Amino acid sequence: MTQATAEGSADERLARRDPLRRLLVRPEFGALIGAVALFVLFSVTADAFLQTSSFSNVLYSASTFGIMAVGVSLLMIGGEFDLSAGVMVISSALVASLVSFQLTLNVWAGVAISLVVTLALGVLNGVLYVWTRLPSFIVTLATFLMLAGANLGVTKAVTGNVASDSIGDMDGFQSAKGLFASEVGIGGVNVKVTVFWWIGFTAVATWILLRTRAGNWIFAVGGNADSARAVGVPVARTKIALFAGVAFCAWFSGMHLLFAFPAIQSGEGIGNEFFYIICAVIGGCLLTGGYGSAIGAAIGAFIYGMVNQGIVYAGWNPDWFRFFLGAALLAATVLNHVVRRRAER
Amino acid sequence: MTALVKLTGVGKGYGSVIALRDVSLEVGAGEVVCVLGDNGAGKSTLIKIVAGLHRHDTGTYEVDGRPVAFASPRDALDLGIATVYQDLAVVPLMPVWRNFFLGSEKRKGLGRLDVDLMRRTTRDELLAMGIDLRDVDQPIGTLSGGERQCVAIARAVYFGAKVLVLDEPTAALGVKQAGVVLRYIVQARERGLGVVFITHNPHHAYPVGDRFLILNRGRPIGYHAKDEITREELTALMAGGAELEQLAHELQATGTTAAARELNEDARELGITDDD
Amino acid sequence: MRTPTTRGRLLTLTTAALALTAALAGCSSSGGKKAEESTSPAGGGGPRLKIAMVTHSGAGDTFWDIVQKGAKAAAAKDNVQFLYSANPDGGQQAQLVQAAIDQKVDGIVVTLAKPDALKDVLAKAAAAKIPVVSINSGADASARLGALAHFGQDESVAGEAAGQQLAKIGAKKALCVVHEQGNVGLEARCAGAKKTFGGSMQNLYVTGTDMPQVKSAVTAKLQADKGIDGVLTLGAPFAATAVQSAKEAGSTAKIGTFDMNKDLIASIKDGSIQFAVDQQPYLQGYEAVDGLWLYRNNGNVLGGGRPVLTGPAIVTKDNADQIAPFAERGTR
Repeated sequence: MTQATAEGSADERLARRDPLRRLLVRPEFGALIGAVALFVLFSVTADAFLQTSSFSNVLYSASTFGIMAVGVSLLMIGGEFDLSAGVMVISSALVASLVSFQLTLNVWAGVAISLVVTLALGVLNGVLYVWTRLPSFIVTLATFLMLAGANLGVTKAVTGNVASDSIGDMDGFQSAKGLFASEVGIGGVNVKVTVFWWIGFTAVATWILLRTRAGNWIFAVGGNADSARAVGVPVARTKIALFAGVAFCAWFSGMHLLFAFPAIQSGEGIGNEFFYIICAVIGGCLLTGGYGSAIGAAIGAFIYGMVNQGIVYAGWNPDWFRFFLGAALLAATVLNHVVRRRAER
Repeated sequence: MTALVKLTGVGKGYGSVIALRDVSLEVGAGEVVCVLGDNGAGKSTLIKIVAGLHRHDTGTYEVDGRPVAFASPRDALDLGIATVYQDLAVVPLMPVWRNFFLGSEKRKGLGRLDVDLMRRTTRDELLAMGIDLRDVDQPIGTLSGGERQCVAIARAVYFGAKVLVLDEPTAALGVKQAGVVLRYIVQARERGLGVVFITHNPHHAYPVGDRFLILNRGRPIGYHAKDEITREELTALMAGGAELEQLAHELQATGTTAAARELNEDARELGITDDD
Repeated sequence: MRTPTTRGRLLTLTTAALALTAALAGCSSSGGKKAEESTSPAGGGGPRLKIAMVTHSGAGDTFWDIVQKGAKAAAAKDNVQFLYSANPDGGQQAQLVQAAIDQKVDGIVVTLAKPDALKDVLAKAAAAKIPVVSINSGADASARLGALAHFGQDESVAGEAAGQQLAKIGAKKALCVVHEQGNVGLEARCAGAKKTFGGSMQNLYVTGTDMPQVKSAVTAKLQADKGIDGVLTLGAPFAATAVQSAKEAGSTAKIGTFDMNKDLIASIKDGSIQFAVDQQPYLQGYEAVDGLWLYRNNGNVLGGGRPVLTGPAIVTKDNADQIAPFAERGTR
């Protein structure tokens, strides 16, 4: 009877050895197909889309989502959500700005303090989640609301206005801008530095996921936390670290905002958390955790940026802008799903 | 030879409820001890004591001849007592080799995982136990239930288990799948491990077991070596144990001993006719 | 070097807060915060009024911050206790108005972005004999819903002014950047601008809460259509972003905007932004509170039943210097 079992699974195994099929079952493959399809669509319908400068702009748009999507996708693979991510970006930028301006410090000091504060917020999310044992959806919804309120309240209390003061003329601004918001000329095209950070973060996250013990633990706590705990994986620590990872990305995005735009409006950022999650989901992350990839999230962000700007390049009727956006996202996600299912069959 | 694990007169109560009473058990290297019993017989309490999840109240628990009182499953694991739970075995979406090494990953410099070593080891370890997986990268969820149990068992063996405690590894499996697991239990025994095999199925227990402990309502109702008992007797004992419980209820309900005796007879007959 | 000062201020604040708490705990009927407020230099010296302002503002909007500052200035002058609340949702704004009625305020200031949602609750205010003035949006619905007066900018008129300015700076093909799709006021601005502009004008919709996306969308549009030589944004922060976008796209488009803030003044001075159409939100808040106070104390009504326009006031390089200090203060 054991013989029969071996034979029964032999067919499956043969199919799995096919390298093409192996590519097809990768979490990011569906998103890749979707990205190519959208790219072709916009290349055909929008004349300006294929210019290198346009492509650079699309990449920039994608990178601002993509950097966040890195942290968010890791967290989602670990089985959790962070609804406070969008607002945390603004909190981070406001902290750096307010600290630097109010205390007349070198901008870098504000940047460093902001990093500490933002990471603490991420750890707080994680610790609250672990302590309360409530779904992260609820916990981070609470911190989302609190942060949104604090952004406004603190800014108003400190500056008397609802936007941060410009720190553009302060010490360290130019060098910080170089790190967070500069441009790099490549072949006559200026590419935003965020694009390179985005690629870099994605590469690091991919390495962590696939080639380190931490990555193994991330998949495990998202896939089956009880099993992971039973074999000695520190589940709570891993989850807290993942929330801190999102916070780190939020800090970086916040620094980009701070150095790319003259002032931070304290009410910004609300709603973006969903776009980060959408990027991760388009890229193949399961909403239930345990499955996905950072590369997929990067492709998801690329799709999102491409749709966002492609509609403008194509000059489609602006009244329907959001409709097109929604339809394109739906198409990409469905395609992703169909491809994966066919491949798994 | 000293027994790897030896329980003598072990008992455990939860508040006023006595879950386990006066249980003795001995597992040596290369031995399989089967613990049989119906639901509520005390099997899971026994397993929790052996695994270090709960501490026993009475009696002694010895490992390698030394009395122990574990504070956590980690302590038990450190002494080579590994427990494979029925549901807590694996993370379904993760590749086989990642599951195999989960929590005890092999690393080379700079925190990098030694992926090749782990892949190879997984393949070899499974092969040594008779499971031929050519692709250890497939999600473990795509394996059959029996194969999954086997991976979990092989993992425990690889990481130095001397005694395997298997909690109903065949319960949710079909006949063929259960066969895979049973064969694996034999493999483990041949490698010199002690095995505590918890099951409610005498047909699974009899072919692989060296000794059989039958529990009923927290008490041992039989502890036999294989040559002292036949499969039929074992089955009857199991079924009888189950029926005894029913009998007790009936007695309470009717208060007539005559009827109870009749029921008892019926139960015995049923138990035996059930067998073949 | 500001550290000690800030710390000192914090200490003072804490002390004040503690003192206040102590006073409240003792249930003092004189002195404390109330006394402090009543001794403020009241303009009319009439009885202390309580006036509520309920707007459709979202959180953290500079514009509404300035409206409040104007209202508070008038409140301080007129010896008015000023209450502010806001919700962008029409139904919830109505609930806030109801709350003000329940508090038996002496006057209500509302925005009529969603006039139908507020119709019933304003009828209740009338029944409770609470005078209402409207500000900002809803000029045409104001009188119909029983408001005494309306202080605001007619968005179409303001748009027309912006269109004229765009034509004046020599633009032929312009872009109107709408940062909140479906906002009637913003649409009216673009429509008004289109009317007087003369050249061709199209709308671009962007997500106002995400600045990088605003930037890339405007960049994309300018890259896609090199003929665009004028950009009109409908809020001050977006103008600064449009300047970056134009630079990035290699476009020479000139940029004008609605609304003001202090950074914008600097940009107008250095010529990167050509003009701003200011609807003077400070005036809206100030006049509304002052108008209610005048009505209560002297029976005056401003505007003769027609909207009182607080804008457009055009800010260009020519008058930027004059306005700069006020913008720096956060009241322009």
